[in-house]
Amino acid sequence: MKNLHVSAAPHINSGVSTHNIMLDVVIAMVPAAIAAVVLFGLQALLIILTCIASAVLAEAIFNLCVHKKQTVFDFSAVVTGLLLALNLSTNVPLWQCALGSVFAIVVVKGLFGGLGKNIVNPAIAARVFMLLTFGAVGGGAAPIVVELASSATPLEFLNKGVEGLESAPSMLDLFLGVHGGAIGETCAAALLVGFLYLVVRRVIKWYVPVSFVATVFLCYLVFTGDATYALAQVLAGGLILGAVFMATDYVTTPATGLGRVIFCVGCGLLTFAIRQFGSYPEGVSISILAMNLLTPFIETWTKKKTLGGIK
Amino acid sequence: MLKRKNISSLHVPHNKHTAGFVPVRIPTPPEVLLPMNMHSGHDAEPVVKVGDHVYVGQLVAREEGRFSSPVHATISGTVAEISTMETAEGKETLAIRIESDGKMEPDPNLKAPEIHNCEEFLQALRESGLVGLGGAAFPTWAKFNEMCSGQYTVDTVLVNAAECEPYITSDHRMMLDHPDLIVKGVEYLRTYMHEYLKDACFKICIEKNKPDAIAKMREAFAGMDYVDIHELDTIYPQGAKQVTLYNATGRVAIAGKRFPAFHAVIINVSSFAKMAEYISTGMPLVERIVTVDGPAVRAPKNLIAPIGTRIRYLLEQTGLTSEPGKIVIGGPMNGTAVCSVDDPIVKVANAVLVFDEKKSVLPTPSACIHCGRCIEKCPININVVAVDDAMKQKNEDKRAKALIDTGVRQCVDCGCCSYVCPAHRPLLANNQEAKWWLKQYAAAQKEKEGGNT
Repeated sequence: MKNLHVSAAPHINSGVSTHNIMLDVVIAMVPAAIAAVVLFGLQALLIILTCIASAVLAEAIFNLCVHKKQTVFDFSAVVTGLLLALNLSTNVPLWQCALGSVFAIVVVKGLFGGLGKNIVNPAIAARVFMLLTFGAVGGGAAPIVVELASSATPLEFLNKGVEGLESAPSMLDLFLGVHGGAIGETCAAALLVGFLYLVVRRVIKWYVPVSFVATVFLCYLVFTGDATYALAQVLAGGLILGAVFMATDYVTTPATGLGRVIFCVGCGLLTFAIRQFGSYPEGVSISILAMNLLTPFIETWTKKKTLGGIK
Repeated sequence: MLKRKNISSLHVPHNKHTAGFVPVRIPTPPEVLLPMNMHSGHDAEPVVKVGDHVYVGQLVAREEGRFSSPVHATISGTVAEISTMETAEGKETLAIRIESDGKMEPDPNLKAPEIHNCEEFLQALRESGLVGLGGAAFPTWAKFNEMCSGQYTVDTVLVNAAECEPYITSDHRMMLDHPDLIVKGVEYLRTYMHEYLKDACFKICIEKNKPDAIAKMREAFAGMDYVDIHELDTIYPQGAKQVTLYNATGRVAIAGKRFPAFHAVIINVSSFAKMAEYISTGMPLVERIVTVDGPAVRAPKNLIAPIGTRIRYLLEQTGLTSEPGKIVIGGPMNGTAVCSVDDPIVKVANAVLVFDEKKSVLPTPSACIHCGRCIEKCPININVVAVDDAMKQKNEDKRAKALIDTGVRQCVDCGCCSYVCPAHRPLLANNQEAKWWLKQYAAAQKEKEGGNT
């Protein structure tokens, strides 16, 4: 009889793996990607394919160069590429999309030690990098499904104040995504489907994105006293995309439930502050980026008390 | 009573296929191998020589020091060999091999011990070779002896019948088939240790997935107002002693303190039955119920086998569907993988699980993605993620401080963290290593302080 396997307990596992989780995130983004192609046409599809392909290639080549174990099959590069694509508008040339993906994978993730070691979300860091290098990445492109008078993003109207609500798209258009913006951020309906999928698959906790969105909503409600305006602020821009897919990234957010809620409330407050008082119309990605950097501190504050621990 | 916060826990598949199988006694095995370290303290010392004839229940090794326990022959026959063997944990120990004469003659000198007081009761338990049969293998007499120091008053005796691990049904069967023995054991303990257990409440802690056992116990203990049948939720690790204590009494086990400090003592339900058996017949711990199950077992069964029976012989009774890839003594969450199919079953072996080749190979660990599942599922709220980083600290004082900060000392070894980890990291093994290192460190510190003064 041949030798037996010997290993430390436990000898069974839950069957959940990094690969499965990443695949679930990709599946959750599919409705948003489909909505992007429907709303923005072939160019959106090209952006998505370019970002994913360059992210996966960058990861494979980087691993080869630094002689690390090949990790492309864990799907995390696909997640990063797709997420970045959903954050870009059809105005962005494809070579810039590819460059952004490579930046996300190599500079933000790879150089920090690969999956699990990066301190900021690669897709967001790449988006902000592109924002600073090439100018506007999220706005300026109108959907192809309808004739729109203006290709400006609704936030450009809304940030003028409550009066801007009149010139902004209707609430239904905001919900279905028939307005200008990044390809994946406009269709709130598709993003909500993805959110439900992630919650049902127990990849994320429902209260994490909700606390982000609720904070922004409440801030506007208190600040302006207008619920419709506050709701328009939630539906316009990249808030839902950021709350569901970026503020829930495991690696760059705190590990405990309480920590994640603190993280998201902080994101919400910063988003409100940047949109309301800052010079950028959109603040979701910058606020998540800033809170990513605070993650280690939030973790220290929210350490759980152990059962039977002695000080 | 205040509503307590629930302890985090897991739902693992039960796989209790053998719950309906009345244990069958196996035919006498041709030989048994008795390791000297089947308990948690020092190894026992052999008192027989090669060539000696032994009877069932005859002492073959006496205990050495505190927390040790004697070993008895489990079949009648001839001592064939006394040599070192490597145990599943990688330690070396002496083992006595006895070849059967096929007669299973009990030792004619065995008689029920005469017990009049607490000392005699403890002495009897000590001679019975009884250890905690749930998995910790802590000698039962030593556990009760701790209560006698006068330092603590014990008001709760927890009878651990949770059996939260998948597959295992040996305690379950003991409750269904021998409730009389369990009742007797409880009565013996209450009678002989009366002065230390004045008004103690006996809580029989059973998970709700065993309604037949709960009914049986209620029936058996009917009319005894000091016994409380406590139903526990079916969650893993309900049977870990710190978790049972918290869920049954609301008390929190503080790290580094012995159990009586919380006015409670916890004993496995089968240990009670074996205790009653010894006190009424004088037959020490020589056989036990073993659940033989697992994906590669053809006909899962509960078997009554002499301790020291080789696993190969047990598997001949159940048959296999495929070549075994891994064999585990104990449950799949907490059990120990053995190196060879010729290893013997030990006193605490409540189950032998056989996995086929496919289920034996664990997935390769990958990088931590910081998902927080391990922290969420830890019943003790240990900051499992931080243990790895803390162990990397070069400075020993800083490392110790960081490790204590994670709470890893309170780890109950349940394995929930490793079970849920999507990166398949060996988190439990890391925790155990960290705990072991902290113990070494504390001992070294103590020595240093002793040298200075």
